[in-house]
Amino acid sequence: MELDKAQKQAEARKSGGPADLLPATIVVRLEALVRDVRTVLNDLTGVRPAPYAVRKPLARHLIAVTPSPTPSAGITPRRLRVTRVVRETPDAVSLSLTDPEGRRIAFVPGQFFTVLVTLASGDVLRRAYSISSVPDEDGAAAEVTITIKRMPGGRASNHLNDAITEGDILDVLGPSGSFTVTPDPAARRHLVLLAGGSGITPLASITRTTLAREPGARVTLVYGNRGERDIIFREALESLAEAHADRFTLRHVLSEPPAGFTGRTGLLDRDNVTRELDAIAASSGLDADATAYYVCGPEPMMAAAREALLARGVDPARIHEERFSAPARRTAPALPAASAPIEIRVRGRAKTVTAAPGQTLLEAGLAASLPMPFSCTMGGCGVCKVKLLSGNVTSEEPNCLNEEEKNQGFVLACVSRAAAPCAVEVP
Amino acid sequence: MFDTSRLTRFLPPRMQSQIDAYFEAFEVLLSVKDPKVLGALGPSGVRGLLLHRGKQGTPTDMPAAHTAHFNWSYPSDQPEMADLYRRAKVGQWNGDDLPWNTSVDPLDPERPLIPEEFLSFEYIEELGIKLDKEERAELGYSMCAWMLSQFLHGEQGALFAAAQVTEAVQFFDGKLYGATQVMDEGRHVEVFNRYLDTKLNKLYQINDNLFVIIDSLMTDGRWDMKFLGMQIMVEGLALGAFSTLYKQTKEPLLKELLKMVIQDEARHVHYGVCALREHFTKHLTARERQEREDWAFEVALLMRNRFAAYEVYEEWFEGRMTRAEWRNVVYRSKGMEEFRTVMFSRLVPNLREIGLLSSRIMPRYEEVGLMRYFGGLAADKLTAETLLSDLD
Repeated sequence: MELDKAQKQAEARKSGGPADLLPATIVVRLEALVRDVRTVLNDLTGVRPAPYAVRKPLARHLIAVTPSPTPSAGITPRRLRVTRVVRETPDAVSLSLTDPEGRRIAFVPGQFFTVLVTLASGDVLRRAYSISSVPDEDGAAAEVTITIKRMPGGRASNHLNDAITEGDILDVLGPSGSFTVTPDPAARRHLVLLAGGSGITPLASITRTTLAREPGARVTLVYGNRGERDIIFREALESLAEAHADRFTLRHVLSEPPAGFTGRTGLLDRDNVTRELDAIAASSGLDADATAYYVCGPEPMMAAAREALLARGVDPARIHEERFSAPARRTAPALPAASAPIEIRVRGRAKTVTAAPGQTLLEAGLAASLPMPFSCTMGGCGVCKVKLLSGNVTSEEPNCLNEEEKNQGFVLACVSRAAAPCAVEVP
Repeated sequence: MFDTSRLTRFLPPRMQSQIDAYFEAFEVLLSVKDPKVLGALGPSGVRGLLLHRGKQGTPTDMPAAHTAHFNWSYPSDQPEMADLYRRAKVGQWNGDDLPWNTSVDPLDPERPLIPEEFLSFEYIEELGIKLDKEERAELGYSMCAWMLSQFLHGEQGALFAAAQVTEAVQFFDGKLYGATQVMDEGRHVEVFNRYLDTKLNKLYQINDNLFVIIDSLMTDGRWDMKFLGMQIMVEGLALGAFSTLYKQTKEPLLKELLKMVIQDEARHVHYGVCALREHFTKHLTARERQEREDWAFEVALLMRNRFAAYEVYEEWFEGRMTRAEWRNVVYRSKGMEEFRTVMFSRLVPNLREIGLLSSRIMPRYEEVGLMRYFGGLAADKLTAETLLSDLD
């Protein structure tokens, strides 16, 4: 209110009138004098300003409410030690991790860890890297291996490829993800795996585990790469193909094939995927009721594979996809500049929390000690999905929610931010 | 004090109050015996008491007249201040870390902001004003919000004064220390402002007498007067007020907030004692020292007598009792008695320590009943732990 008044006075000075004729310093003094005289006159006539003003929380205070000491309040990573570093290709490295306190790590083939990569600059990046190793029969392992392919200009992937040595500690969240195959010794299924580049990582774990644990299952892997030297796990896959020749078919597709390459050449586009599927159908058959499709790779390849599969009449429920979009390449919606109250309903009770600008629904909820489920914290696993009951949120895209979930009003708490009051429910 | 209501009772209540206020202001100015002190306090008194510059609903610009003192050789001149600087650096804390998620109900009888006996309701009842339980709680809420508002205004003054003192002080170690005090005061503004805005939702105007003290030391060009005003008088007042409230409140967030603030204040007063002890006892003429002695006495009186929460009176009792009657209620109340005791038991020993309690002025302190605090520990001998444990 005071500011308004001062502004109006300043405008009045600018906009002409007798005060225009006087130097500004004199005007300021005159105004002060007028105020003084008015104050004394008001005193004498018993007119006084209210002794107090009603106050509301200011932006300054609201911003200060929620950023807890760390931006990831309530999200505590697990520390794992790097026990082995294996260079798979010039551009891919496998890191084997164990728990320093000897606890075994439970995971399902196909899951990934969210690795918190601390750069030399102090920045912490979150990236998803799939597990390529196989769990023991009880579903856990003393050592798990993740495989990281260098992304051109990728800060995290290059750091992990170049700077990590045995004995280092990695902070991870998870394992997360539902792009999984839970081993079932009685299963008599056919898994058709379509991999592009580093998309092999979860599919390698699925291949190894399925061949080892499901004697009645068949696996066909179509694996697209640029050249021969880009093939991650090349020898391991080839020895698997030899050992399980009756149940495992490995089909390489190369866009820059060496001389003498007998497989299919070109990119895994819609036509090539269709040709591969035709070839598989011709050689071993594709029983619609026993075949499941797992697709993981770069975005154009995934779109092509989906189109090809749907065009063949494959039931969408039999198509499983894993998308890894580097956060850097996501659309980053403009961060809300204001804080907004969020009503969060979880386990039958409702609580309103205030998210600071930039804080995700998940961070705001966890900071208020709400039992919100989460796993990967980067839009990749869907564990934190909540239903938006009212209001609007902005979400980073793409994320792992499918169209159906989006249409039902689900959003991912870990990559969504509220610009205005909203209400969400944890399913 | 002269009860003006006998002359003015035929006037409307607000005018009666105003005339009482004028009489009080004149009385303050007339009671100053030293003309130099009157010269230093007078203009501030007019701006605060007559013109209510702090209540005009517009920001106040106070011109500064001090000199920024540079030293290009960076001497290591005051080991005690260097030590304070080291302690201040490790003693920093983050206002965000206070338990802000505590929900505060200002009227909660289980966790009252100030105890019911803080204002002595029997004196109010003697005047024929009966307050029910709810009204008593509401009045306690007003008193607490008023006190915290004055703390906040005082901290704003301390923030700018600390910055001025950092410029003006002649000890290099003092400048480094002063930087930490600026940060401390900024944090105090932050936490009091946040508490009032987010928990009590109320902010009272600055009390005219507090305005006079702040105005006087901000506009005085002499660095040692700023020191005396800020580090000894205002900080002493703050320490007394914070400590009283810390001791009496049952609201856990406020208690924690005050505890953290008191730990900083202990350093601030200590710094004032360090800087002034040598200056007053060695570098001033007898006449200059006497002037400061008188100034300190007048300000001490101002602080003892004039913090009567008139803003709360205007909100609650104008027209129901006279301003003089309210003054009586406040002075006789238990909470204010406690506040004066704590304040002067800290302030008087500090004045003695820096050489402003000579045998010349002692009789005047004796006259107003302040000499009983003479033997206490000065700030350089007090730690934050002692300060707090005295209160627990």
